[in-house]
Amino acid sequence: MRFLTRTALPAILALGVLGACGDSGLNKEADAETAATDAGGEFEVTVHDGDFATIQQFTTPGGISVWLVEEPSIPILAVQMAWETGTASDPDGLEGLTGAMVYQMNEGAGDMDSLAFSTRMEELNMGFSCGADTESTYCSVNMLTENAADAMDVVALALNEPRFDEGPFERFQREALIGIKTRVTNPNFLAGQAIEQALYPDHPYARNTSEESVSTMTREDALAQKNAIMVRDGLLVTAVGAMSPQELAPLLDKAFAGLPASSDLTDVDDVDVADPIAEPIVVDLPQPQSLVRFVGPAMARDDADFFPAYVLNYTFGGGGFESRLMKTLRVEQGLTYGIYTGISTSDHLNLWTGGGQTKNESVGDFMAGIDEEMTMIAEGGITEEELSDAKAYLTGSYPLGFDSNSKIANNMMSVRLEDLGVDYFDRRNAMVEAVTLDDVNRVAATYLKPENFTFVVVGQPEGLPPDSATSNDDGDVSLEDAGDEEQDDELEADE
Amino acid sequence: MRAILTGSLAALACAGLSASADTAGAEWAPETFTLSNGMEVVILPDHRAPVVTHMVWYKVGAVDEAPGKSGIAHLFEHVMFKETDDLGPEEFTSVVQRNGGQLNAFTSYDYTAYYERVAKDRLELMMTMEADRMGDLIINDDPEGPFISERDVVKEERRQRLDNNPGAILQEQVMSEFFKGHPYEITVIGNMDEVGALTPQDGLDFYKTWYRPNEAILIVAGDVTAEEVRPLAEATYGQLAANEESPTRGWREVSPISETLELEHSDPKVRQPSWDRWYMGTSFIQDPDLAMALTVGLDVLGGGQTSRLYQSLVEDQKVAIDASSWGWLTLHDSGPVGLSFTPAEGKTMDEVETAFMAEVEKVLEEGFTEAEVDRARNSLAASSIYQRDSQEGMANLYGRTLAVGGTIDDILNYPDNIRAVTKEQAIDALRTVFAPDRNYIEAHLLPSEGDDQ
Repeated sequence: MRFLTRTALPAILALGVLGACGDSGLNKEADAETAATDAGGEFEVTVHDGDFATIQQFTTPGGISVWLVEEPSIPILAVQMAWETGTASDPDGLEGLTGAMVYQMNEGAGDMDSLAFSTRMEELNMGFSCGADTESTYCSVNMLTENAADAMDVVALALNEPRFDEGPFERFQREALIGIKTRVTNPNFLAGQAIEQALYPDHPYARNTSEESVSTMTREDALAQKNAIMVRDGLLVTAVGAMSPQELAPLLDKAFAGLPASSDLTDVDDVDVADPIAEPIVVDLPQPQSLVRFVGPAMARDDADFFPAYVLNYTFGGGGFESRLMKTLRVEQGLTYGIYTGISTSDHLNLWTGGGQTKNESVGDFMAGIDEEMTMIAEGGITEEELSDAKAYLTGSYPLGFDSNSKIANNMMSVRLEDLGVDYFDRRNAMVEAVTLDDVNRVAATYLKPENFTFVVVGQPEGLPPDSATSNDDGDVSLEDAGDEEQDDELEADE
Repeated sequence: MRAILTGSLAALACAGLSASADTAGAEWAPETFTLSNGMEVVILPDHRAPVVTHMVWYKVGAVDEAPGKSGIAHLFEHVMFKETDDLGPEEFTSVVQRNGGQLNAFTSYDYTAYYERVAKDRLELMMTMEADRMGDLIINDDPEGPFISERDVVKEERRQRLDNNPGAILQEQVMSEFFKGHPYEITVIGNMDEVGALTPQDGLDFYKTWYRPNEAILIVAGDVTAEEVRPLAEATYGQLAANEESPTRGWREVSPISETLELEHSDPKVRQPSWDRWYMGTSFIQDPDLAMALTVGLDVLGGGQTSRLYQSLVEDQKVAIDASSWGWLTLHDSGPVGLSFTPAEGKTMDEVETAFMAEVEKVLEEGFTEAEVDRARNSLAASSIYQRDSQEGMANLYGRTLAVGGTIDDILNYPDNIRAVTKEQAIDALRTVFAPDRNYIEAHLLPSEGDDQ
């Protein structure tokens, strides 16, 4: 089943670009930045010869803005495209419409119905699929270089002449209704929903699909949503593989030729995060182990405190076995298999989140331990040694995120979506290094106070204060409030 | 972190169909050599980025556990991160991460693997440290010490992976019946009570028996050559003594299913029923020709949206929301092949089962077309080209293949071997494993009685 909405655990999100990194590039000959005009073509290619990847930037004759990394060693090509509008643009009453739309994108086009389209993709050994999160919609194509022209023809057909047939549309509806039925016992969904309802109940980000919205929407609605989101204006394209700009440009122009020029969809407002709830919210679910999640405010990606917070997060709960939460609650006390924190930033919502699981009997001890670690780091900060360990890992591991075509394509798209600049990969480690102990400890004192966080427990916890808020008594949530099964959706297509 | 490979349903679905590798070319090939103590080394060159994936695979897994000691292979894997004569408690991880490295380990039925991913100039340090814990691990025997708290961690891991998940609980029951009398009958993480009774001495015994260089394989993938790695390997792993006598693996023949069984598990958390049938299959080690033919046949029958089962049950009859066939053929000993569906809203398990099995029988009787078999062969073969994009994926593929007794040639020849499967072989393989006289284990995952949600 393919349901596309919010990602389940935003903890990971900030790591996308930050934790990623680097291809030294095998064939770097150019100096820092050189501009070259293609002799035979009609467009200019700007080469950014970075530390981790040599990025060629160009605008195709058809007006498509592309970042390309040429990588000849494997005969494959990955192309990604993204638009900065996502599921938050679903019309009221049609929640899930963008998800329905992206589902249909590889379910038939031109004279090919769903089966013929899938069969054609198999014949070409290609993958093409689309997805969406709250703020963006994206498609990803993987192909063998020898089939590139035929594969991009399939993509062109999907983008320009999608069918949105009744068959696959109704199949989407059937699957979505099952998702609505099963999500009410999914602890991650329940925790996410409780947080949304507690902190931003009236924002579009807190909306979920419902039986009504899924049953109401039509294939015409989905097609209209496609034409509103997938437009040429603002389209971002990245590609990595064995192909030159001159070979790639005409394939892209053909693929995007039929898209509307622009859209009048309006952006959503920033989320106004409500005050934290003092007592833990308990969602009853019959299982031996409870899921504990905690969420508090964070700063925007372009805030001066972001990098100090990012470094601090490593020491607090982001550094795996090196984090304080993991050392205390797993290694010393054996209370959990894992506990993690992360900073999730996006255009309209920035959160510091964390979570872990522990048996119902030890939830009280587990939460007391989290509270204690928060208090300690907020009041006492971290040590010089912890700061230097965090920087050593965060800078030293950065190249590990650039060792495959797909990672480089993902990283470039993140940089484009967040508008960080083509030299971001090269500047990033210096920004980590520049963080001072004073910065970190000031951010810790501001953001990691326990009273900033709202806690949710899903399970049948013991040892909590008697006045904990119980969100519902029977372990169910009303279908009106419930959302799609949450799943991380990658920019990559299935193979 | 420190993952365990228990064969979750997701893993099952793809495991049997994923063994493959690059062929495309003469321009790419692994390099291999053996140290004087018997440790095998494989280098997988990939010069795109100045990083390496360094893995040590031990030829020991849950299959080798003594009776009553289930879970020791996996718990011991956790203990490997604790302490050595040169490194203090938990320092292994600290040093790797201070050097910008990512690390983890995992345990399966047939093997246990440890890895670090680092910049290439840190490779020597990783090899030094990994060799150190192969030779000089310290196991703290304090009855309230780190071994005991790690046991608690594993119990939480078991709750998280299995006990919280009704589907996993049912799968554990199915595997216990399917592999009855074979060590695979107990899940890798072990029975809760047996894990709770494991002692530091159990850990030490296990370590001394199995963690020797001649029971291990070194894989280095990334920006290196055999020429660079060989002196480093000789100076680190090469200094360790081999076992005088190799221990005997716990592998043995998997008995045929003695009687057809139906298992049910109902749980208030289940809101969508599902149906599975497990038949006795084989493995790439036990019967490579049959495994290869099954890989193609299962793909055509129920491998995806274009497959016979999906098209019939989901698209045409609309009685199921999913319908598939799968195989788990990468174990050393024989594993299952199976059939699965999820009934559509308002359809009973029985009526979908009838329609589903009628389609299976129809396909078995009529056979395949050349075109559909050709598509399956081509996409399975092409997956080896895509696979080369992931340095970690390549290291994993070579490690797990060699650890169960396969060869580098098995991997290199996979695309050709898949392409050589004929449509007759593909359908005959299915006719063999799904023959009407074969017993099977059928599993129904159900909502609790009276739960009408």
